[in-house]
Amino acid sequence: MSDAVQEPAQAVKQSRARLLLVEIRRFVLIFLAASFFLFLALESMPEDPVSLRVKNPDPERIAEIRDSLGLNDPWLTRYVRGVGDFLTLDWGESLISGRPVAGEVARYLPATLELAVLGILFGVSFGLALVLSAHATGWTWLLQPVRGMGALGLTVPIFWIGILFVLVFSVQLGWLPVGGRFDFAYEAPRITGFLLLDSLLVWDLHAFWIACRHLVLPVLTLGLYPAAVVAGTLEARLGESFLERLVTALKSRGFSPARVWGRHVLRLVSGPVVTVIGTQAGALLGGAVLTETVYSWPGMGRFLVDGVLNRDLFVIQHGLLLVVVLALCIVTVSDLIATRLDHQLQNREDS
Amino acid sequence: MKALISLRRLPDAWASFILVFALSGLLFTPYPSREQAFRDRALEGPSWAHPLGIDGLGRDFFSRLWEGSGHTVALAVIALLITLGVAALLVSIERIFPNSIGRFVRMGVGLWVAFPVIFIGLLLLVFLNPSPFTLVLAVGFGNLAFAFRQLRVFWMATRNALYVQSSEVLGSRGWALFRWAIWPNLVPDIFALARLLFAMSALELSGLAFLGLIGDPDFAELGAILKQNQPYLYQAPALAILPGAILSLILLSVHLSRFHR
Repeated sequence: MSDAVQEPAQAVKQSRARLLLVEIRRFVLIFLAASFFLFLALESMPEDPVSLRVKNPDPERIAEIRDSLGLNDPWLTRYVRGVGDFLTLDWGESLISGRPVAGEVARYLPATLELAVLGILFGVSFGLALVLSAHATGWTWLLQPVRGMGALGLTVPIFWIGILFVLVFSVQLGWLPVGGRFDFAYEAPRITGFLLLDSLLVWDLHAFWIACRHLVLPVLTLGLYPAAVVAGTLEARLGESFLERLVTALKSRGFSPARVWGRHVLRLVSGPVVTVIGTQAGALLGGAVLTETVYSWPGMGRFLVDGVLNRDLFVIQHGLLLVVVLALCIVTVSDLIATRLDHQLQNREDS
Repeated sequence: MKALISLRRLPDAWASFILVFALSGLLFTPYPSREQAFRDRALEGPSWAHPLGIDGLGRDFFSRLWEGSGHTVALAVIALLITLGVAALLVSIERIFPNSIGRFVRMGVGLWVAFPVIFIGLLLLVFLNPSPFTLVLAVGFGNLAFAFRQLRVFWMATRNALYVQSSEVLGSRGWALFRWAIWPNLVPDIFALARLLFAMSALELSGLAFLGLIGDPDFAELGAILKQNQPYLYQAPALAILPGAILSLILLSVHLSRFHR
């Protein structure tokens, strides 16, 4: 290979490595900032969480418990130990239930992840399908709901949509369950905590069906917002003149609509779509917490809210930090994917 | 022509009417919104005396919704003012000291944007008691990074515009330049941003109240009212539907308005 070809490839590799370093640095900085904010918040708690949990508070007993939990150590030691404990998954025990926090999180987190991942997948596919099929077929009336959906995210509360779905599909039509993650009368398979996956692993199709029925309404509710965001972004991007010229050129070469839109255009517009999903990570997590509350979904949302309201020290410390780490992971991964997609675009344009 | 102009202003008039009507619920309601004066008639349907019926705890539902709308609008406006005020302050500091403090501010905002509003709300609740004030602070500070970025872009675009530079060349400086060249051109963008922030704040506030983080269970706020009436979905669905419908109506009216457009 000649030097002229090697040099741009080397430059792309270097810029990717630099980007990765920038993302890692941002990840570490935000993690440290979040853990420090949390530490400060826990330090400023108006009540002592230990004395709240001890029946007949006796100062000696409280001091003993605080010593055993290391709460009387210097602040820097406690902060560093807290970060270390988080990273090593040594999350202590809940002051309310007495159960290990890491175990509780492992019980609730799969339910939240299953819901969030399916919600995002549904939202993104629905938004993409709507806009691309409207452009590919020339049925411009399909774009009307897209324009309406843009306003939806800013005018309709997600928890209200959830309640409307329950009212129509569960209470009135009786098609789907009102809430919960599984039927009480049937024993759920437990291997990984992800019910869809577990029921397939043990090949219990009835359990799979039950889990699917319980997921439909929460996934629809949670997916509407990403669908609106993706459809809006995509529609704006497709209005750009270079894309219009590209579509005309590809059509004139005799490519089928599926190939033009599904292969070429989709590749070009997926970068901004991925970025938008990443920047909406916080809103998506908030939406997941609200959706869980509407459908009595046994996920992290209720666990965290109860933990904060009950001043459950270790639940707050590690559970909240986990939320930030999850949001950060989505942002970082989406940034990296988007940049990779944009590089492809750049290379293609260069060639 | 005049008729056409007045028609163009119809969404503004409608949005103003809705907002004023909602806020008037803070001053007057037909019945006290907290008093459980009609417990023996709980979940009773609409009547002349109670146009929207009685809720599950024996309170006039129309009064609760009216006051709840007022609280939601007022809290969202306070959160919006906090967001815009602090964001404007940060933009000013960042512009005055672009190299030293400015870099620190930009870095801080870059970090802040990664924090979900729900995290900020829960974080505040760790050391503040659940209350409307806590939720307002959570939402106000939660939207700060977004508002800062938008304001900064608006400011830089207007500051570098040709007409501002022409004013400067003609001798306009300091306050005069801001008052006569920058501010009038910044106002439409700020109104558009305020409309967006108002919607975001109202939705986030109601969401946090729906989660039960508002503290006082009797406090009339649309998200909290909806949460309180969710158990009556079978017997009296209107009690759960109306709060969300009213919140959507308020936000849609503001969204469609054309203030300073």
